[in-house]
Amino acid sequence: MSTDGLQRILEEREGKPSQLVEVLQDIQEAHGYLSENVMKIVSEKLGVPLIEVFRVANFYKAFSLVPRGRHLLTLCTGTACHVRGAPLLISEAASQLGAQPGETTRDGLFTLECVNCLGACAIGSVAVLDGQVLPHMTPSKLRRLIRSIQKTEQQEVANA
Amino acid sequence: MPRLANSKDLEEERARLLERRRSYRTTLILCGGTGCQASRSLAVAEAIREGIEARQLAGSLHLRVTGCHGFCEQGPVLVLEPSNILYCHVTAEDVPEILDATVLRGEVVERLLYTDPVRNMKIRTEREIPFYRAQDRILLAQNREVDPCSIEDYIAIGGYSALVKVLEGMAPDEVIREVHESGLRGRGGGGFPTGRKWQECRRAPGATKYVICNADEGDPGAYMDRCLLEGNPHLILEGMLIGAYAIGAQQGYIYVRKEYPLAVKHSRIAIEQARQWGLLGENILGSGFSFDVEVARGGGAFVCGESTALMASLEGRVGEPRPKDVHTAEQGLWNRPSNLNNVETWANVPHIIRNGAAWFASRGTAGSKGTKIFALTGCVKNTGLVEVPMGTSLRTIIEEIGGGVRNGVGLKAVQTGGPSGGCLPVDKFDLPVDFETLAEAGSMVGSGGMVVMDQRTCMVDVAKYFLRFLQDESCGKCVPCRLGVDRMLEIVTDISEGRGRIDQIPLLEELGETVAATSLCGLGKTAPNPVLSTLKYFRDEYEAHIRAHKCPAGVCRALISYSIDPEKCTGCGVCLKACPHGAIRGEKKAPHVIDPASCQKCGICRSECKFDSVVVQ
Amino acid sequence: MQQYVSLRINGSRITAPKGTSVLDAALSHGICIPHLCHVPGLTDFGGCRLCIVEIVRNGRSKITTSCTLEVQQDMVVRSDTDRVRRYRKNIAELLVAEAPNSRAIQDLAARCGVQEVRYPFRNEKCVLCGRCVRVCEEIWQARAIGFVGRGKKRHVDFPFGVRPDFCKKCGTCVDLCPMTITPCAGPMKRGEETLCAKCASQLSMTLKMPDHCVQCDLGKGFGCERAACA
Repeated sequence: MSTDGLQRILEEREGKPSQLVEVLQDIQEAHGYLSENVMKIVSEKLGVPLIEVFRVANFYKAFSLVPRGRHLLTLCTGTACHVRGAPLLISEAASQLGAQPGETTRDGLFTLECVNCLGACAIGSVAVLDGQVLPHMTPSKLRRLIRSIQKTEQQEVANA
Repeated sequence: MPRLANSKDLEEERARLLERRRSYRTTLILCGGTGCQASRSLAVAEAIREGIEARQLAGSLHLRVTGCHGFCEQGPVLVLEPSNILYCHVTAEDVPEILDATVLRGEVVERLLYTDPVRNMKIRTEREIPFYRAQDRILLAQNREVDPCSIEDYIAIGGYSALVKVLEGMAPDEVIREVHESGLRGRGGGGFPTGRKWQECRRAPGATKYVICNADEGDPGAYMDRCLLEGNPHLILEGMLIGAYAIGAQQGYIYVRKEYPLAVKHSRIAIEQARQWGLLGENILGSGFSFDVEVARGGGAFVCGESTALMASLEGRVGEPRPKDVHTAEQGLWNRPSNLNNVETWANVPHIIRNGAAWFASRGTAGSKGTKIFALTGCVKNTGLVEVPMGTSLRTIIEEIGGGVRNGVGLKAVQTGGPSGGCLPVDKFDLPVDFETLAEAGSMVGSGGMVVMDQRTCMVDVAKYFLRFLQDESCGKCVPCRLGVDRMLEIVTDISEGRGRIDQIPLLEELGETVAATSLCGLGKTAPNPVLSTLKYFRDEYEAHIRAHKCPAGVCRALISYSIDPEKCTGCGVCLKACPHGAIRGEKKAPHVIDPASCQKCGICRSECKFDSVVVQ
Repeated sequence: MQQYVSLRINGSRITAPKGTSVLDAALSHGICIPHLCHVPGLTDFGGCRLCIVEIVRNGRSKITTSCTLEVQQDMVVRSDTDRVRRYRKNIAELLVAEAPNSRAIQDLAARCGVQEVRYPFRNEKCVLCGRCVRVCEEIWQARAIGFVGRGKKRHVDFPFGVRPDFCKKCGTCVDLCPMTITPCAGPMKRGEETLCAKCASQLSMTLKMPDHCVQCDLGKGFGCERAACA
């Protein structure tokens, strides 16, 4: 995380413990995860005990304490998506990626996550890829989607 | 836009905006809510803009990209006014035809019309659609009238007139009395009388007070608040302004869950616009009343929908609830008097002030007044957001509005109230939706989630699903919730995997009662509801799992087996390719076979087979 | 000037200073309300839920933890109803099934009337009572440990799992921990956990006088505050 980037996020928030969750959210968005080093800086600048920063980082699902994959694939496990086959999608994704929900693939390409309802229930089963909401997902569509991304990345590596 | 100095300025602006609005010959209303955006409605918007420019229609044709209409499965949805023609599943490629045929020549594009799945006929206008017609869309109707990123739209249709009425003609106590007399009760699930909460907060000692909007809609299957906040944020702001005035608060917060990025974005834009116009900030409209609002994002924790946990999160701490022996109305955010209400509750306030308590109370039952928005999902033909007066029966919602069961399999149950609620069987469908009635039956109105289940749903699996959800979301602070929910899940899992014992049923009931009575917060207190309600109405299903080791609905993986019917199988090989576990073998054009040893019963083969030849027993 | 409040606990009229918790008021008057996370001198947070009582107000009864409930004039409190006793027993049963390798928790279970454990035993090393966390924060103000994680994953830990240099190894956390008092016969092996019946003799006495402090040996060294002042 660039010091400039962190500086910008902490601007006007120094010495304000109540801004902890917002600050960590901004860092997570900008950098993809919360490193030990960054958390120590936040603790100092905001005036929040280190254990508190650590607690908040571990409590909220939004935060990742390890770097995430290049692509974030989130599957909705809300009730409506559940009855529309979300467990099938999880099986499919897990077997295609070789990673369980919460894990990142060994090649660092994908992180697979589950979320407890995105509020898009009528177009379930819902998957989100890099922020884009994909409606009516099925195992075969998901398979094709994952494979197309893997193929694109392989081509980029070959071209590089 | 210069700041409005007083209500006269506002009324002048309003008149001007209304005239401009009326000057358009045709208005294209395109849904840009999360659901329709996922179906690429923004590409449709782009195509429309290009089309308007190409045909030089800018003066007479207006495109309004709105928030969610609540008809997501039909999206992208496009309505033309004044003809009221509704097109669904619109793509960018359809736009030139829509502009040329419908806008310019007044001709209907048949293939884009909505098909009513019950009568199997095409419907021309929005107002004729049975799904909409049977509803009472007091709150939702405004969504199609405004671009959520335009305060001008909101003002044009009468926005902030309730605020003016309050600032110029009502004392705080009068406002509270009006809300109290309307009978409005919390729409987030608690059902606490709103007027009483406001009164408590007003009376609490202390000069600094807060009003908070709970937009942490965490119930899976519920998206009413998303629709309201991302589609009409000014309505909520106006409600909060009125509440803050009545209570004596100077600062407000809208706590939005992170999973609703559009709601976060639109709330922030609305606040910025309101500040620019002088409707938020110091000395609003010259009244002497000052109030401002900030948006805070949730961090992905269902428990933060609980009021004390939400406030802890606002304070920058972990979202753990605290005991509520003292109400948050007296000691809430930073230990100061805080009035927290749900999005839908706030949304009702301007309507109540504008039309009066009696108007609001004319709808609903004796104990539950007004309308309520439900998110109707699951095994019904018409899914979407349904707004009806309280007291409407479940049957009306599910069959008349929802169109009855989808896919021909019989109806089995309806789940209301999310993880805090319960499942009611078909013979209870004549019950009116009303806070007390549903609670007595073992479920609850909750925030409005309504999931319809058919005969292919296993109620033990449903109980397991909700327990797992709650176990995942529990903060873990108190023993009954942390250990009790875990043990209930352990038992229900045993039952669903064929290891259940009949004496575990009374144990589930005893443990459930304990968890409900002794948990620290609402999450734990209502956690046993899904289990207890399914035990009450579907005990025979639990017993089948335990005594006969059978899952009648064919869901619980350990108790079912998958096989392929050789009569129906065409040997197309789709299942073989789809199986992630390599459990299917077969030659081309010959019937395929599932190896029971490798089969994980994930169900992917059944979902892919086009010949319905996968059999589940 | 200290203000006093008069209330009823289990039928007895009691006077207590304003601001006292119902639990403290009860304990100081010889009424035994079992508790685990309460420690004199540390803030109460109502985590273990063992100290639950039933209060009747305006004809409605409510169940809440007595440690977080402040005494109020004319309050009517019962810790001895069948319902409260049954719930308390169920909670204690959950605790002992979770962590049978603690004499304090086995004793508590006996005191709460647990006679059988209906769940498979686990062998956890922590019941998340929060005594350690609170003493580190409130008495020593070191804040070297805290509750990390949610739900089942909740555990006590140092920041980043590493003991920081501002932990001075004072050992108070260990002293207060209910898990560090081994059962009389030594730790139970994994897979061989049982409900300890060693204090059965105590149990029969507690069943006769369930809500009165009997100056028992239960939780010796664990620090029931009445045993501390005996």
